[in-house]
Parts: sequence; C-alpha cells; structure tokens
Amino acid sequence: MNNEADCSQSQAIENEIADLEQRLRAAKARLRHTPSEAVAASTPPSKLPHHDTLQPTATHFLFLLSDSALPLGSFAFSSGLESYLAHSRPNSSFPAFLTYSLSSYASTTLPFVLAAHRNPEKLAELDDTLDASIICTVGRRASVAQGRALLSIWERSFSGAVPGSPERSEAIRQLKEFALLLRNAASTASGELPAASAHLGPLFGAIAFIVGLERQETAYVFMLSHVKALLSAAVRASPGERGGAGGHPGRDPEGVGYEGGGCGAECSGDGLVGWET
Amino acid sequence: MISPFPPSSSRPGNGSLTAHLLPHSISALSKITFQYPLKLISPSPSANQKSVLVFLLTYGGGLVGGDQVLLNIDVKPKARLSIVTQGHTKVFKSTSRDIVTRQRLDVSIEMGAALCLLPDPVQPFEGSVYEQLQKFTLAGGASICLLDWVSAGRTARGENWDFHAWSGRNELWTASAKGEAGRMLLRDNIFLDGNLGSGKERLLKHRMQNMSIYGTLILNGPLMESLAAFFMSEFSGLPRIGARDFRSQANVDIDSEMKISRQESWRRDRLQLEKDDGLLWSAAKVRGCTVIKFGSRTVEGARVWIGSMLKEEGSISEHFGEEATMCVR
Repeated sequence: MNNEADCSQSQAIENEIADLEQRLRAAKARLRHTPSEAVAASTPPSKLPHHDTLQPTATHFLFLLSDSALPLGSFAFSSGLESYLAHSRPNSSFPAFLTYSLSSYASTTLPFVLAAHRNPEKLAELDDTLDASIICTVGRRASVAQGRALLSIWERSFSGAVPGSPERSEAIRQLKEFALLLRNAASTASGELPAASAHLGPLFGAIAFIVGLERQETAYVFMLSHVKALLSAAVRASPGERGGAGGHPGRDPEGVGYEGGGCGAECSGDGLVGWET
Repeated sequence: MISPFPPSSSRPGNGSLTAHLLPHSISALSKITFQYPLKLISPSPSANQKSVLVFLLTYGGGLVGGDQVLLNIDVKPKARLSIVTQGHTKVFKSTSRDIVTRQRLDVSIEMGAALCLLPDPVQPFEGSVYEQLQKFTLAGGASICLLDWVSAGRTARGENWDFHAWSGRNELWTASAKGEAGRMLLRDNIFLDGNLGSGKERLLKHRMQNMSIYGTLILNGPLMESLAAFFMSEFSGLPRIGARDFRSQANVDIDSEMKISRQESWRRDRLQLEKDDGLLWSAAKVRGCTVIKFGSRTVEGARVWIGSMLKEEGSISEHFGEEATMCVR
C-alpha cells in the first residue's frame, strides 16, 4: 500500500522534472532568437547590477523610479536631519548622519520593501505592520504622503504601461484591491486603527515587483532615493540657505561639513519650501 | 516508590502571575510562581491598596550571561497590577557573542484591567548580549503604562555603551474576539549594536551622542488618557528647535519677578532641568497609543524628569498607589 503510494509519487515527481526540463529548453531556445540579446552582447557591460537579466521595460521603470524628479514629495521630510543639526551643533557632521540614517533606514523600512517584493500578496498586512512600527509623527506623515503619491503614479501612468504576465497579474489585482481598501478607509474614517495607510515602503516593493525590477535593484533604488532626499534636505539646511538668497555656500569652512560645492547657490531660489514643522 | 504528585511544570527562569479583583474592589494575586533565576515578591496586601504590587527580581541582582527569563502575566477583568524592581536589572557579561541573555514578558490585560510597569533601567555591562521581548495583549477598556529604559552600563567604571548588543521589542496587541484575530497596535523595536560596520562611528558610544540613558514610555487605555494628554500638551509647549529669547536682560528680570502659577513655575524649573541634564524627549500618538521617547546625559536626570512628570500629573499614583512609582522617585 505504502510502496504503491511512494511509487506513484516518485513517478509524478519524475514527470514534473521532465516537464520542467523541456520548458527550460524551450525558454532557452526562445531567448536565443530574441533581438535584445544581440544588442546586449554588442554593447559594453554596464555598471548597473544584474544588467543582463533586465528586460527593456524593467530598465525603463528602473530609470523612472530612480529619477529624482519622481513626484513623491520626499523633499518634505528631512528624516531627522534638522533635529540632528539643532542638537549636535557645533559637532554636526553630515557624513556621520548619512551613515546613521542609512543604517537605520536599512534596518527599519527596507525589510518591508523586500518583504512586499517577495510576497506582494501580503501588501495590506505589511502596510498595517509598518503603520504600527513608525513612531515618529512627522515620519509617519511623510511615509504615508509618499506612499499615496506613488500609488497615484501607479494608477495614472505605470499601470497602463506594464506588460501583462500571469505571475504579475495576481500582484496587480492585489494592488487594485489595496487601493480600493484605502479609498474605503478614507471614506469611513472611524476609530484609531485605519484599514489601510499606504506607507511608501511596502508599496514601493510591490510596484517594483510588478514592473519587473529585481530584488537587489529594488533595494538599491529605494536606498538611493533616501540618500537623495537627505542630500537635498542638507542643502536646504545649509547656512547659505538659512541666510536667504545670496549666502555663500563655502562661508563656514570649519563648521558643518555638508555643503556640497555650489549646491547652495544652485538651489537658493526655493528657500525652505516644504520644511517640516 | 512512585511519587503521588504530578510532575512539576516549573522550568528555570519561568514565572507566572495572575491578578484578580476581590470584593470591595481590592486587587490581589491568585497565582504567583517562579523559579531561579527569576524571583517575584509581593508585599502582604493591605485593605486600602489601589493595586497589587509585585517586585520583579533576580537572584544575585542580575542576569548572568545566558539566563532565560519568561514571565507570563494575566491581569483579570478590572484588576490592577503594578510591577516594580529593586534597583537596576544588571545584565552580566556573556562569555561569547552567541550566548544571549533573554527576558520575555507575555502579558494579557483583560476587560477594564490595568497594568503599571515602571521598573528601574536595564543596565547592560560591558560584553553583555541582551534581548528583551515584551508582548501585551489588551482587551476592551484595558489600560497600560509601560516604561522600558536602558543605561550605558557601569559609567562609574568607565563603561559607555560597551555591551555587545542590546535589543528590546515592545508590542501592543488588541485581544482577539469572536473569531477576529488580534491586531497589532504598536511595535517599538530597538536594536543597539555595540560594534557596527567600520569607521569612527562604528562604536555605539559615538552613535549615542553623549546620552547615558535612553527610554520609552508607552501609554494606552482609558486610565491613561489624562496622563497621555498631559505629555502631549507639555510636548507641544516645548520651545521650538532654534527658537531664541529676544527679550532684553531687563525684561527677563522683570518677567521672572512676575507672579506665576505653581504649574508655570514647575514647568520653568523642569525646562531648566531638561537643559542642564541634556534631556531630550518627544511624544507621539500612534494608533491610539501615546509613545514618549527620552534620552539624557545622566541616568539620574532621566529618573528625576520622568518622576517629576508623573508626579505633577498625578494619575498614576491615584490609580495604582504611590508604590507603583517608587522606581522613578
């Protein structure tokens, strides 16, 4: 009885292996006939991670998501830099703060990005857990504002441009459901526990998965956007900026070391717009 | 001969506490068990106690590297329980980085019950590895006041955040009811790694910015509403970052001679203390919980500060009795 069951089970596994091998051969054959491979072979290797696994559309979305002009409103939050500068004068060091902030962001928010990339179907659960884990009021507001901005970018432009594929369509359906949940949560705002909040981290992970970014690229782009947000916050916090237009970026050589060459002058027009209160 | 008694279910480091409400609204313990190295003591009850007081202790005054403590607490409907310690919870050195000293607290607070957990700070010694996990499940109308703080170690011996690792996680959950799973209200997770990455900033003592103590106070539930509102209002009244006093010295003198209320003078003294001790704090509301984070250059400064805040507002002593705040006095 048992032997029979084992036999049929191992037979089933062998069939499955044969099937998978055949599919692999077919997929390899198809890959050999696609033009993109010829192009990739003729161009010099790029420094981007996992270049050879990138599909053209994924590269396109990689550039969009890493663009500093992506309208997520990340400039509105200094991630604690303003407070750090105020409390650590005159020993402030932007490079030190950057290290602290990256290490903190990588261990608090990045895991949610990666988890959503790995399991996009758990988006709502991850969003709820992250909502329970962000203690800082300003940080919560910024995370939700950026998450909602990303969701609206997805709905208005990305969703129409994503090539259909069976493994992604389930994730897309989940994302639609989440957006619906969010809208309902907003209309029936009651009690202290929201049904959905739309924090940036999990949404970023899920959307990056849907548009075809690899896990490593997703993590890299997400952390890079944090670095960019911090740098622009540092530029806005520099003494040249605080003093208003016309301040000299290099005025205080011994002071805080966050003044990039010429940055203060370039951006001196926008003052302290969007600074957290 | 076969023992007529059932085998013991007690395990080293495990303990269990149950607080009940007796007639005349007196809270009392119906169960208290513990095994080495954990030790629980409760003073004999008095007729007018507002909550039942329990001392959470360890034999020898600390946890030796590798000790595992697991304490289950059940606060039955409408009962009130206060937990305190008799001095810092010392965490001794682990012989290697893989030997983790753990404390786990699993608390269920039932309908209308309340727990006040105001212990002394945890004091991790040089070379210690510590992990703390505290989970609180709150039924409807349950209240909790929870303080969790960690110091830089034996600063008198020159220790300054020299432990290998310290991690503390506090989770608040709603109780599951009628087929609905409990939902997480709050997760406050702190990892302090003594030695991280490379460069000058890799050591924790540089990252802690001259703080000697770092703590979190979490409040939730109807009994804590007034205390939470008090912290929020004091926080919003703090001087803003970068704010300056534009008054001339003459005006400052005139203002200081003006009659001010007792509360205003308390606030002025407290702000001065915060400045002198380098005490920084913030308060935030997260999904119905109020979370206060604070850090100070001295352990004593933090103790005086939190004691002064709780005493000024007064509701903790009112609901749980004076003894509940003995660690922050």
